[in-house]
Amino acid sequence: MADGTHLEVTGLTKRFGGLVAVKNMDLRVGAGEILGLIGPNGSGKSTVMKLIMGIERPDAGSVRINGVEVAGWPSHKIARMGAGIVFQHSRPLQRQTVLENITLALLPDKLTRLLVDPQTDERARAIAARVGLSGVLDRRPGTLPFADLRKIEVAKAIARNPQVLLIDEPFAGLTSTETAAFSDLICELRDDGRAVLLVDHNVKSVARLVDRVLAMYVGERIAEGTADEVMRNETVRRVYLGGSIETAARPESSFRDRTTPFLEVSHVSVQYGKAQALQNVSIHVHEREFVSVVGLNGAGKSTLFNTISGLLPYSGDIRREGSSLRPLTAAAIARGGIVQCSEGRDLFTDMTVRENLDLGGQHLPATESAEQIAWLFELFPILRERQHQAAGTLSGGEQQMLTIARALMMKPKLLILDEPTLGLAPVILEQISKALERLRQTTAITVLLGEQNVTFALPHADRVYVLEHAQIVWEGAPEAFAAEMGTGYL
Amino acid sequence: MRASPVKVLAVALTVVVLAAFLPLWLNAYILGLLTMAYYSGVFAMAWDLLFGFAGEVNFGPTFLIGTGAYTAGILDSLYQPPIWVCVAAGTLAAVVGGVVLALPALRVRGPYFGLTTLVAVLMLQNFIVVDAHLTGGENGLTVPDVISISDATNYEIALWFMAVSGVILFGLACSPVGLILQASGQDAVQAGALGFNVTKHKLTAFIISAFFSGLAGALLVFYVGSASASSLVDITVGVQIIIAAVLGGRRTILGGVLGAIFLVAMSEALRPLGDLSNFVVFTMALGVVLFFPNGFFGLLTRSGEPN
Amino acid sequence: MTVFWQILIDGFAISSLYALGATGFALIFGVSGVLNLSHGALMVAAVVAAWAAGDQLHAGPYAGAAIGVAIGFGISLLTYFIVVQPLQRTRKIREEEKEIFILTATLLWGIMIQQLIAYLYTDNAKTVAPIVQGVISVVGVRTPANEFFTAIVCWLVIALLWLLVNRTRAGKAVLAASMNPRGVTLLGVELSQVYIAIWAIYGLLVGVAGVLLGMFLGVSSYSAGPLTASAFSIVVLGGLGSVSGALIAAYVVGYLETITAYLISPAYRTIPALLLLVAVMYVRPRGLLGRR
Repeated sequence: MADGTHLEVTGLTKRFGGLVAVKNMDLRVGAGEILGLIGPNGSGKSTVMKLIMGIERPDAGSVRINGVEVAGWPSHKIARMGAGIVFQHSRPLQRQTVLENITLALLPDKLTRLLVDPQTDERARAIAARVGLSGVLDRRPGTLPFADLRKIEVAKAIARNPQVLLIDEPFAGLTSTETAAFSDLICELRDDGRAVLLVDHNVKSVARLVDRVLAMYVGERIAEGTADEVMRNETVRRVYLGGSIETAARPESSFRDRTTPFLEVSHVSVQYGKAQALQNVSIHVHEREFVSVVGLNGAGKSTLFNTISGLLPYSGDIRREGSSLRPLTAAAIARGGIVQCSEGRDLFTDMTVRENLDLGGQHLPATESAEQIAWLFELFPILRERQHQAAGTLSGGEQQMLTIARALMMKPKLLILDEPTLGLAPVILEQISKALERLRQTTAITVLLGEQNVTFALPHADRVYVLEHAQIVWEGAPEAFAAEMGTGYL
Repeated sequence: MRASPVKVLAVALTVVVLAAFLPLWLNAYILGLLTMAYYSGVFAMAWDLLFGFAGEVNFGPTFLIGTGAYTAGILDSLYQPPIWVCVAAGTLAAVVGGVVLALPALRVRGPYFGLTTLVAVLMLQNFIVVDAHLTGGENGLTVPDVISISDATNYEIALWFMAVSGVILFGLACSPVGLILQASGQDAVQAGALGFNVTKHKLTAFIISAFFSGLAGALLVFYVGSASASSLVDITVGVQIIIAAVLGGRRTILGGVLGAIFLVAMSEALRPLGDLSNFVVFTMALGVVLFFPNGFFGLLTRSGEPN
Repeated sequence: MTVFWQILIDGFAISSLYALGATGFALIFGVSGVLNLSHGALMVAAVVAAWAAGDQLHAGPYAGAAIGVAIGFGISLLTYFIVVQPLQRTRKIREEEKEIFILTATLLWGIMIQQLIAYLYTDNAKTVAPIVQGVISVVGVRTPANEFFTAIVCWLVIALLWLLVNRTRAGKAVLAASMNPRGVTLLGVELSQVYIAIWAIYGLLVGVAGVLLGMFLGVSSYSAGPLTASAFSIVVLGGLGSVSGALIAAYVVGYLETITAYLISPAYRTIPALLLLVAVMYVRPRGLLGRR
């Protein structure tokens, strides 16, 4: 640390209702240093950032910026103390030019300023030049590519010359060239002597940039050190990858529908506004096959699944048994047997377990629905015990089981599981894992599983895809995964 | 490309100067209609500052207008001070009323803010009916004084009052203060993180909106010579103002004037339809909301939002 | 003592009506997030239809009431298809601005209905001839039988609605959609059909509430605004989206108004309720039982 600590956080704690989102966090970032704060979805990393910036109020703990205690202050005061933030989702003023958007961030918080003085205008131009927006000063944000929108956000964040700079998922939605350019920009900002906090899903994406990495999991710090140290850290590997792996794949040639697979996704691309969420993705799943899509949070797994489920507009083609899914509504796709257990679970939390299951079976005749419930209670015995309890009062693992069971009530041909292990304890994982294995052995079901936890994803899989930065980068048998992909994955 | 603010203002002022000569040609009846339209235009501009820029939907513009109008009118009917004193008092009352309304209302978001403002209108209406000895109740309040009995003079007052209000409100909206306001309205969290005290800016917008609404309301009383709940305070009146602003184009300030003139012209053109004319006007307004959400001004200057 | 009983009985009848009206309003908001500001106009339309058919065309009170309910039902569906659905689907308006556009458009729609009624049937107050005539004397208070009829029908309809939502598959799907719209889509339920269903149910509720109101108090086209405001106030007071909250709030408002009217002056009738509303919003913006 060159000349002291710009940002110092101690004992920071935040609860949302009963959930402890951040527990007793300590971190410090020095002048001219980049700290990477990483953790999977729900680990509390974004909450830490919001607490520092005053967007959420901490329940306990201290946040010091240049030695001044700012915990609990409103965000505009913290901003004036020298903190700036680059939000992941940029929302510039659409009717103003790029220059006006940057000028905005330079304005004093006064009601009396009715004209922009020449110095402000000059500074705005200088900042624009700094981040590489000089060529588009008079354009409006709506006409610019996504990477330039991110630059506008950076320009705004550094306008007040903050000494502490928080950046949320810096590279989400950027291509690799843009990522490189953006990394250089962040390094320059560090070299100015700022303290930079990068928040991201995984070490890999920020490894090149950061001086230190702090890994979080379920609200707590699990490791801290250089990028290499954290990547080698046992706890981190367990959280991201799981433990040792055994596989039991069936060769692709053993599936009868080799020429027309059950599900065929061809050259699918999806955009969120201007960000590329999926780029030319092609995958296929045979009937009765178990396919895993492995990728870190933010790689595009949920986007892929939501696209298959008909929830997102896309380009490209998705076919089920040869016929296009495009004309069907999301509900019709689900009724047709492609059923998704979403990452957020989407349970009806105020309804009982039984009511949730009944809703899943509402397209079935009453007797068939009852049989299906009986079978599911056998598969997940805990749900039988909990059947009259509200879904929202279940533990995370029980909720996950209910989500899967509710989807199975639909008697799906293809079950899509999006991150079923998210935030769950190892014991629960094993139970869910066993249930999946039983499904695979005893039923004709086809499964498409999305996971970042490789230990969970590989044992059942017949075939594996790796999704990285919105693209499929690898396809192969699970046994080959460890050899070919395992090391570079984190 | 969009039109630059200076160019827009230059065109608008040219039109105003030309309009100043209209009394030479037009009869008293049409001048009267235009006079009303200009006052409504100010109401619509003041409303747009709050909605289009601060992002707060005020369903009760008539609360501010009514407070200004009735304060001025009651003062005049009780003590007959000089008219400017009444107008100043009315404006002040509207500003105070605006702050009293804004302080709790700004604590709540979205539909709740809208509801708070709606409730304020209903309360004012109740007050007017209940305190009939002061307000004239449902029959309305007749003030002993008017600014002028000349139609041309009244027309010029309304025109130049509207022009000055328009320049101030439009200038404010294009100024750095307007920029901050717009940022606060679009994304309060981000505006806070950029170092702006969002509440302070929104409260100011509310005060400015209240100032112009109250002032216009008070002047209107001394033009018409009377005030009534059904013509100044009723929710239908508020909706007309909102429609004028939306028809003219959100976030354009000046569009409100176009919308107001259009509404007056339409109800005049549809007069042969009798009581049905209002229905037709509202139907057209709904059509614009559904099919051209950016309004006239959005079409004229092509400054409408991209999708 | 008579006044006490009078307030108790009158208050109960009027509160039941408010409860029925507000339930529909809360249902629409809870499931589809739409605040329908044409609510009052829909009720007035139902009253005027019942009045026109029953009293003017001499179709009799039963046929009149049926026509009133049918009109409420029909206009409710029109509201959804002409005003709400196009705005929900348009891409010309940004998502975060849609709420305000739907508010404005339904407000306009309500005024259109109001104007049309005033044009066709004048803005005079209209009272529908009650189905149940006569007076019943309870604990010394002579009360029109119609008041009891109103309260009973209101609670019957509310009970039916409760059964529908909690005891049928379709109702369960509607309830589930109010908790998690994505969740029901993933279970193969078409949200668009859920929306049509709730607007249809809402139409029936509005129709019944309107017709009863017409028999009880009578309305004019001017009543549209205050009726919307009272439903809106009750729903906010109870907590947006909470039907049980709305039921409780309906009784709070109904009794507050009745007490004020009897003990202070009918002119002040609505003021205490409005003050209470402002106070609640200031202290607890979520409302009494609100979830968010």
